[in-house]
Amino acid sequence: MEKVLKKDNLRDWVIALSSYEVHAPAFEDEVWNFKQVEKPEDAALDHTNTVKPPKDFSFPQREVYCEFAQKKGEAPMVTETLPALAAPKVVFGVRPCDGRAGPRNDTVFSKEFDDIYYWMRRKKVAQVGLACNTPPSRNCFCTAVGGSPHSEDGLDVLMVDLGDSYLVKALTKVGEEIVKAGGKALGNASAADKKTAAKAKADAEKAPMREIVDIKTVPENLQKNFDSEVWGEMAQACIGCGICTFLCPTCHCFDINDEVTNVTPLRGQRVRTWDNCQFPDFTMHSSGHNPRNTLGARLRQRVCHKFLYFVQNHDTYQCVGCGRCISECPVGIDIVAVVNKVAHDVG
Amino acid sequence: MVNLQDIKDRAKALLENGEVGAVVGFIESTAGNLASPKFITEADQADGLIWDPTCVHNLALYLVEERKRQTKAAHGHGAAPGGEDKSKRLAIVAKGCDTRAVNVLLQENYFPRDDIHVLGVSCEGTGMVDRYKLAKKLKGLQAEKTEFDGNGYKVTTTSGETVKVAAKDVMADRCLECRHPHPVIFDDEFGEAVEDRGLADAFAAIKTVDEGSTADKWKFWGHHFDRCIRCFACRSVCPMCYCEECVVDSINMHVLQDTSAEEKANRIKWIERSATTSENIGYHLVRAMHLAGRCVDCGECERVCPVNIPVRLLNSVLDFEAKDTFGYDVGMDPGQPSFVSSFRDDDPNDFIR
Repeated sequence: MEKVLKKDNLRDWVIALSSYEVHAPAFEDEVWNFKQVEKPEDAALDHTNTVKPPKDFSFPQREVYCEFAQKKGEAPMVTETLPALAAPKVVFGVRPCDGRAGPRNDTVFSKEFDDIYYWMRRKKVAQVGLACNTPPSRNCFCTAVGGSPHSEDGLDVLMVDLGDSYLVKALTKVGEEIVKAGGKALGNASAADKKTAAKAKADAEKAPMREIVDIKTVPENLQKNFDSEVWGEMAQACIGCGICTFLCPTCHCFDINDEVTNVTPLRGQRVRTWDNCQFPDFTMHSSGHNPRNTLGARLRQRVCHKFLYFVQNHDTYQCVGCGRCISECPVGIDIVAVVNKVAHDVG
Repeated sequence: MVNLQDIKDRAKALLENGEVGAVVGFIESTAGNLASPKFITEADQADGLIWDPTCVHNLALYLVEERKRQTKAAHGHGAAPGGEDKSKRLAIVAKGCDTRAVNVLLQENYFPRDDIHVLGVSCEGTGMVDRYKLAKKLKGLQAEKTEFDGNGYKVTTTSGETVKVAAKDVMADRCLECRHPHPVIFDDEFGEAVEDRGLADAFAAIKTVDEGSTADKWKFWGHHFDRCIRCFACRSVCPMCYCEECVVDSINMHVLQDTSAEEKANRIKWIERSATTSENIGYHLVRAMHLAGRCVDCGECERVCPVNIPVRLLNSVLDFEAKDTFGYDVGMDPGQPSFVSSFRDDDPNDFIR
């Protein structure tokens, strides 16, 4: 289903989605991030890309698994807690790279068994994508990892900027419902609209972006150069923070802790929180020994997870080329440069 | 004017003469409009050094990291920790604020003076660029490179345009408020000492926040702490955050061979892993208090924050207290007693009730 939406009518579409919780990128504190739309007239899609990816909607930084309590002399009681089934969410302005992160994370949280916490949220989230006619960042490289600035993968709806209007294409059943809910806010797409969108796509795919050399041989070359000294050299300036990982749309490692909220009587929660392979305690053994004890080894882990292990396990790269880890790295460590250097000795 | 060739020549000479094992300086990164810190170990690599308004990093951090690395390696191999081996000396390129960090580390005996070599560079009439201010100024264009241009910056965009901006319009707040743009400790000096620059009053930023009521302040900080994702970049980038075990880490105790399972299980968790309001406040306030009288206002904590939390303000308040109440200027002299471990008989104490 393809419709056309005048830019001025975005507000009416948002109003028509009153049975959903609508989120869109908002510019606050000098950064773009997704935020629930409070006033429909504030919804605008003039963002670059958000600093935090839409990953949080399905995989929040903190998830409560269960609650526990124990009265003195009695057995401990455990209460299961599942994500509250609030209204379904519609997230506007998802960039196609972030859209492609969805199916990758879905694989992780369903390959061996369905992670109920993830899926209870994920099933309630519809992603309305906004195609990139020009790369939102100079560090974009979606085309280098098999994506496209107009990719539909993982999205429910894709919007393409046509100037004064958007071409709105429903891609899933949920997407069709969302577009239908817009009613008269959206008009029928003409052949000319579709042609303009097709041209925008062709132009966008030709736009220069960061390039990974011969990506097909990257996994085998990373394997071959596992013990290369280059890892350590490329990580020399690394400060060991968690920015690259916490802002990544596909990083999904987590930790589970019991957090006590009251001592007598004992009460607390078992929580899942994001974890980070760049932190020393990620691999710290209870003996105090740490097998991955250098910055180079941690950089290698992050890069190899995305370009080697994930390929081995799931037959696709676990990087969608959003460029956040490059743009936000405090010291300019650049995953594209690292891959090219280690795999091909280029750069 | 800072002559970049002088810095390159000196770095080259230090390496050729074997006076240092490495020079940590700035090179161009591939990430765009940001210098990258680089350990230069061969003289010919010194030609890649740059000096521009994106040389934001406080390289004193690497003096600390290298010290930790050497200590770890020495213990790992059973050898005595280094110090006499000249090749282990490290040189850094340092701005005014960075040199004050060096002084604080020297005061705290983190390393001996002889182990380091400071290539002090003056920020003269300008300072470092703030990416958010620059982005606003460029109105949608993206910066690829920023260079000094008198009292302004020359910005080259990703689409190839050249935009000239007045430095004071896009400079980091900490640089506008800077009281010591010239290095205070150095082995070599580059650029001119420019003192009173008159760009902004010292502590200007905290005064605007400090005016509100306590409720207003809680609202302000509550908003920001709630946004924290606990990536710990502010801690990781700070040369003063050098503790081997940090109160926020899940492992913050020394585990030895005879540490029992029970001791491990019952370790005190001061701050939980959850990025919730209470834990985030705990983290940021603990960090701020640990930096009282030690923070040199290099502003790196705020610069690196991916969600732009004004972290610097917390430390500035304490810096202001040190100055205003005790007349203490952080990091001015390596022989200066450290703020929290010294007192004078006439120190004011009427705030103790």
